[in-house]
Amino acid sequence: MVGLIWDPIIVTAVMLLGAGIAYLILITARRIAAPKPSASKLATYGCGEEVKPDETHADSKQFYSPIHRVLKPFYRYIQPAHTGILSHYLLWVVIGFIVILVAVALVLR
Amino acid sequence: MIEIPPIVAIVLPLFGAFLTPIIAIVSRRFDVERKVCGWFMVAIMIAMLLVVVSMGARVWGGEIIIYKLGGWDPPWGINLAIDGLAFQMALMIAGLGTLVAIYSLAYMKRDSRFDLYCTLILLITAGMMGIVLTGDLFNFYVFLEITCISSYALVAFRRNSDAVEAGIKYMIIGSLGTSILLLSITMLYGSIGSLNIADLGQKLAMAKAGAEPVPMILVVALALFVTGIMIKVAMVPFHAWLADALTAAPTAISALLAGPVAVIGIYWVARIPYLPFGMPVGVILVALGIISMVVGVLMALVQTDFKRMLAYHVISQKGYMVLGIGLGTTLGLQGGLFHLLNHSTYKCMLFMCAGAVLHRTGSQKFDELGGLSKNMPITSSVFLIGALAISGIPPLNGFASKYTIYLAGVDAGQPIITAIAVLVSALTLASFLKAFSSVFLGQRPERFKDVKEAPMQMLFPMCVMAAICIVIGLLPALGFNIAGPAQTAAMNPGNYISQVLGGT
Repeated sequence: MVGLIWDPIIVTAVMLLGAGIAYLILITARRIAAPKPSASKLATYGCGEEVKPDETHADSKQFYSPIHRVLKPFYRYIQPAHTGILSHYLLWVVIGFIVILVAVALVLR
Repeated sequence: MIEIPPIVAIVLPLFGAFLTPIIAIVSRRFDVERKVCGWFMVAIMIAMLLVVVSMGARVWGGEIIIYKLGGWDPPWGINLAIDGLAFQMALMIAGLGTLVAIYSLAYMKRDSRFDLYCTLILLITAGMMGIVLTGDLFNFYVFLEITCISSYALVAFRRNSDAVEAGIKYMIIGSLGTSILLLSITMLYGSIGSLNIADLGQKLAMAKAGAEPVPMILVVALALFVTGIMIKVAMVPFHAWLADALTAAPTAISALLAGPVAVIGIYWVARIPYLPFGMPVGVILVALGIISMVVGVLMALVQTDFKRMLAYHVISQKGYMVLGIGLGTTLGLQGGLFHLLNHSTYKCMLFMCAGAVLHRTGSQKFDELGGLSKNMPITSSVFLIGALAISGIPPLNGFASKYTIYLAGVDAGQPIITAIAVLVSALTLASFLKAFSSVFLGQRPERFKDVKEAPMQMLFPMCVMAAICIVIGLLPALGFNIAGPAQTAAMNPGNYISQVLGGT
């Protein structure tokens, strides 16, 4: 059924063709405005100061802070519930079992 | 052509495990213990893979291979029954297990007690193989215990505080899961009087037909069985053990737990609605699948640890499989089983990439890494292939199976399920872009200037898996040729029962 709608070989060929065209545009652009790298051009700056490579790393916790803000209830209640405390996790298993038992009873009886 | 009995696929790793300590004692005298034990483990795995592959033609021809232990006819004796579903699982366990064994040769080089590691790897493989091949429910429990106990020891293998804590947590929650399953099996035996899966299926169908509503003991037994399996599959809210275990275990073991070990739980998820219970639990599976998909990916988005992020994606991706299987349609089941095949491959590969980075840099924290694509071009390329595959980006294998699940949602009249699945895929891509950017792109810290590419023995299995991801993505029919017979076998319990019981 998937084959009727999706032909991976053709799609891949189209994607490679698109990538090839993009690469050609890139090469052409580089010929028109050839890059002339120098140490000062390649360095990273913050507020006029040069920043060391080790300090330029994006904070992985803040990487998706907008998503964090949009889904505040999840990150306020569900994430902190992953406490790492075994007894909490065992309680989840018990609650999960009760929910499944009720669901199975409702489905079958 | 000589037919190899299917029991050999279980006996080979089992006896290999018992032989390894003896081989270690002998080879220690010649100072070649590590090499001999490692290659002995790989040789056993390859032999097991060949035994499994040799069954392919018969199983794909529509036959169910029955092996009667001691010549006793089922249901009186224990039997192995290999149908399309069991074969897919056995093939994945043997194939991925072999690649993990090869990866371990280099990855575990700095660890002592390598003979113990090889013994445990062979033991866990024997257990997994037994679980998917057996036709007996108590036998399933015994093999499950072999698998679980070996995996607890492997998670805590390095004996540092994190590993031991994760191992103990995994052991307690895992033991609760196996105890729940044993209780369910006991209830089934007490009420039906059989442990043979085919016989149970037949008698349960008769018991249900004669009693309306379904007896309470069967309701409780089913609920216990589903709960036990969900603990093994790590569906939310039974998932808590997984993130700690996969983060703290040696990465080769994380790959094993995320790949081959994941197979056994999904195998039973695919069996439950048809055999032995034959009761409609699809709606419960769909609900658990959706919750796990969403919770898994949202937790993964905010992780700062490479392996912990991958662990939460295991939960999320298993949600796709449980969802597909729970839909109960041909397309859904095929999509779920195809996704299992794909996910096990690229998740194993992604963990191996994380292991390669950890092996060379000594860190698995995103904030401590960066710019490694210059030093580790093959690892970064393989990781990119895995990241795109897990995110369902065409033309890789993850797209083919996820697309089937999307179609199954629409086909089942539940487009909202498809919408959620697509959204989760987008968040998966976001999560992996962060991982790729943090580890392989950006500025490289000075201390990683001299980092080298991973050793060849680690790169080989990673490249094989990357090739599988590309080939199955370009030729999805290859994947459907494996998942198709598995789906047909799972949805046809009558054929299983009649072939195993031989018309009794």
